[in-house]
Amino acid sequence: MGITGLATRTIPKYLDPLPGGTQLVDSIEFVVGWARANSLWPLVYGTACCAMEMMSAGSSRHDWARFGVEVARATPRQADLIVLAGTIVEKMGSRLVTLYEQMPGSKYVIAMGSCAISGGPFYYDSYSVIKGGDRLIPVDVYIPGCPPRPEALLQGIMELQKKIRTEGRRNPWVIGGVNENPSIDIFSTAKKNWAEAGQKQFVADDEKYILPSRTKPSRKAVDDRPEVTAREKKLSGMSAGEIDKVVAAEFRGIKNVSREEPGQGRTIDYRVSSRNYIHFITFLKNHSELRLDYLLQIMAIDHGDRFEVSVQLMSSSLGHRVFVQCDLEHANPQIETISSIFLGAEWHEREIFDLFGITFLNHPDMRRFFLEDDFPGHPMRKDFSDPTRVIPRPY
Amino acid sequence: MDLQPVIAPPGFRTGGDTSTSTEEYFLNMGPQHPSTHGVLRLVLKLDGESIIEVVPHLGYIHRGLEKVAENQTYVQNIHLSDRVDYLSSHIYNMAYCLTVENALGIGVPERAEYIRVIVCELQRIQSHLLWWGVMGMDLGAITCFLYGFKEREIITDIFEELCGARLTMNYFRPGGSFADVPDSFIPQVKSLIEKMKVALDEYNTLLTGNIIFQKRTKGVGVLTAEDAIQYGCSGPVLRGSGVSYDVRKDDTYSIYDQFDFDVPLGTKGDCFDRYVIRMEEMAQSLKILEQAVAKFPTGPYRSKTSASIKLQPGTYYSQVETGRGLLGIYIVSKGGTKPYRIKYRSPSMSNLHALNHMAQGHKIADLIPIVATMDIVIPDIDR
Repeated sequence: MGITGLATRTIPKYLDPLPGGTQLVDSIEFVVGWARANSLWPLVYGTACCAMEMMSAGSSRHDWARFGVEVARATPRQADLIVLAGTIVEKMGSRLVTLYEQMPGSKYVIAMGSCAISGGPFYYDSYSVIKGGDRLIPVDVYIPGCPPRPEALLQGIMELQKKIRTEGRRNPWVIGGVNENPSIDIFSTAKKNWAEAGQKQFVADDEKYILPSRTKPSRKAVDDRPEVTAREKKLSGMSAGEIDKVVAAEFRGIKNVSREEPGQGRTIDYRVSSRNYIHFITFLKNHSELRLDYLLQIMAIDHGDRFEVSVQLMSSSLGHRVFVQCDLEHANPQIETISSIFLGAEWHEREIFDLFGITFLNHPDMRRFFLEDDFPGHPMRKDFSDPTRVIPRPY
Repeated sequence: MDLQPVIAPPGFRTGGDTSTSTEEYFLNMGPQHPSTHGVLRLVLKLDGESIIEVVPHLGYIHRGLEKVAENQTYVQNIHLSDRVDYLSSHIYNMAYCLTVENALGIGVPERAEYIRVIVCELQRIQSHLLWWGVMGMDLGAITCFLYGFKEREIITDIFEELCGARLTMNYFRPGGSFADVPDSFIPQVKSLIEKMKVALDEYNTLLTGNIIFQKRTKGVGVLTAEDAIQYGCSGPVLRGSGVSYDVRKDDTYSIYDQFDFDVPLGTKGDCFDRYVIRMEEMAQSLKILEQAVAKFPTGPYRSKTSASIKLQPGTYYSQVETGRGLLGIYIVSKGGTKPYRIKYRSPSMSNLHALNHMAQGHKIADLIPIVATMDIVIPDIDR
């Protein structure tokens, strides 16, 4: 129950019947609200970009200590304010609810930035972003911006303080428990509101109302922008011809499929079959002239009918790059791991397994990487669709 | 009394050690933890206070950015590249624009090149300042946080006047930038250089020579050169181990070949080396800024591009050096105005992979400087 219950239930029960008791209870409520508003203890919680602006708000120039929001706590058990700074994704969602539940009442939530309000730039097409923090926990103040400035956060805090100062019996806004209000479906509410608004027909109701005409945005005339040719890039390392020669001496059938790239540095693409894959990578790494000792990344591409795995190698001492592409069938994609050759390959392969569903044989730790273990399907595949998570971009 | 067998969380490789009388146990750290810089989750296997193994768990800020990017045009995608690593957003914008420019085969005017170099070096200093402040705070020196943010705000002001944003810039475009620099830009940068020189000395007095700080970082989290290359580390983590690879020098892009600057190298590969390298990098960035400001040319700031950008079918790759290391952007195009696939080769992911190797055998308290000197940004890993 805590102090809230004491101030709003227990004390009034005894004092209200007495003459002048109501005024006394109101005074107590006023003092409690005043004290609470001026000593908010925020939780050190930040997931993405907005956290930087939150840090700015806490640092020397903006200094939110002026508003009593000074004691940033790392544990939710000592905090009474969460600033939802940054995108909330599905995997973090359950943790956020836990954090909120661990906070003692009365507790307040500020949704900072468009991600925490609605999903922001990741509203459409994203398979993991939760479209608004208020689908998980009740939010008191919304601060728009991407990210909002620290001043905006300070204003948000002041708005919250206003709200706290007026809370009490006369103006109760009950602190919503997560279990009592499991989720607020703002989407259908908004849809309903829009449907109602659509039926009103503004033109018919008010003759003076002028529909805004659809003007085409005028494009600024291209001023004297010159046509500039690409700069000659200083190339380091072995040339394409030299690398080709070394490779051709060892492997006959491996094709150089690189495009003519003026000025793009030394990148040579080879296409290998999955049978030659391991041999070829081992050869490239161990060859004394090529010295391709540095793995940039492994990535996969879904071409619809086939998967392509691209292993991107670089020579850290010489500077040339060799990209090796390998096609895999779409039905049951699997390929040997190269994590025994490059230690760094392990995480890249796990990422591909997670997002594309390509299995790497003999991998030491083939688990999901980014998503929860029970996530249905592999989202980076082109044929992935999940209407419960993804809202396709309508334009 | 029979103890229940401990069920290991997933991901651990080391076997149970039954020879000693102590008992190993598991400890969860994060995703809500003040010194994991966001929402990194580490599961530790401990013997007393000594770390036997660390298993990072990722994905607490995996936004599916690469999937979102597949449905946006090439120019729209610039604003998404900001949000990958928001502390190097100008550099990410630049890397993205470089890739598109390479694909189109266009260049940028000289003034635009200078704008890019100045802005990117400012961004590097800004990113390192934040790292310095936050690292100090992680180790218990809250003053660093306040000092670091003081100079950081000056750079933020310059950016705000430049493009209207403090953090997510969206300033560069294929062919240059969307607007010319304001008249006050160069004077502001000049005054910043003077201020930063004083401030760097101040920082060194404040933290670098501190005996407690040195005791906590020297000899902690050693990474050898071979291991750093094996894991694909880059940036100060790689150079701290003594490998001289800086994309600005070794695979030079824009006009970095016209400037005189050094690439600082470490010898031991411990936390202190990585710290010193970042401090030295700020000084080197100032050196680049001085040269660029002195030669800042007049002329057009953007070259001619078609109104809607379409790339020829093919694959395109560019790499740049961010505050954290090597960033590669790989675009697969099948024609049209939207990319078929975009992949960010983020430096933080490979750097973090070396964490287990660096932390083994150290105490839990040593994990904090190790993570702090890696300077990871979690959305950069998760994307």
